[in-house]
Amino acid sequence: LEVIVTSQPAASQCTIERRRIGEIEVLSVAGVVDMLTASQLEEAIAAATKDSPRGVIVDLNAVDFLASAGMGILVAARDELPASVQLAVVADGPATSRPLKLIGIAEVVGLHATLDEALAALTA
Amino acid sequence: MPSTEKPGNRPQFARTDALADPVSAAAIRREFSDWLRRSFTLDATKASDVVLAVNEAMANAAEFAYVTGERPGTMHVQADYDGTAARLTVTVADEGTWRSAGPATKERSRGRGIPLMHALADRATVDSSRAGTTVCLEWNCVTAVR
Repeated sequence: LEVIVTSQPAASQCTIERRRIGEIEVLSVAGVVDMLTASQLEEAIAAATKDSPRGVIVDLNAVDFLASAGMGILVAARDELPASVQLAVVADGPATSRPLKLIGIAEVVGLHATLDEALAALTA
Repeated sequence: MPSTEKPGNRPQFARTDALADPVSAAAIRREFSDWLRRSFTLDATKASDVVLAVNEAMANAAEFAYVTGERPGTMHVQADYDGTAARLTVTVADEGTWRSAGPATKERSRGRGIPLMHALADRATVDSSRAGTTVCLEWNCVTAVR
């Protein structure tokens, strides 16, 4: 387990932990993903991609606020990841999965309600 | 940053002359969220919708309003409640000019804020003029805490 990035005090708090499960890189994001912290998510996804994973899972289940700045990072990741690397997003709640579904990002990034579901989808 | 919060049955929230930048937007979002949860009996989904829509209006002001200026300008956030109509109205105004996405810009949120506001609010309008941009967001069926 490696803590890649932590918070900016007094600003928005975002913590991202990265771990490897088999050939899958899992990024567990907690706190706020907004204009101030979206770059942390971008950097974490880029770092996770370097170790040639079969897939990258971005777990947003501990995120309590997700702004369009963060949604944009997810869409960009899907566009920029090599075709050999699968992407999945884990989110289930009014602050995360709801807005992702409302503006049609859920279908683009591969949305799952739980980490187990995402792992099953990527290792199938 | 002058502020007003009136107790009672006409809850009001105002942050005037706030810096139109991401740090200020995040701080006002937290204050607004606290005020919203204190003042109204909203379910988790509606509370979340309101806070995200207001955030996107402020984010647009912070991103777009003053891209040509050397320093960020100001933005004004005001929320009013009409108890008779059970309607919550939030306006976010800035004095800059929004720009559409250009090749030189890298902002990833560009283009998603406005569709989000329309999806999250019962009514959303964006009025731009040379004097600035005003976003007006409305929600119906909002009940104040007694």
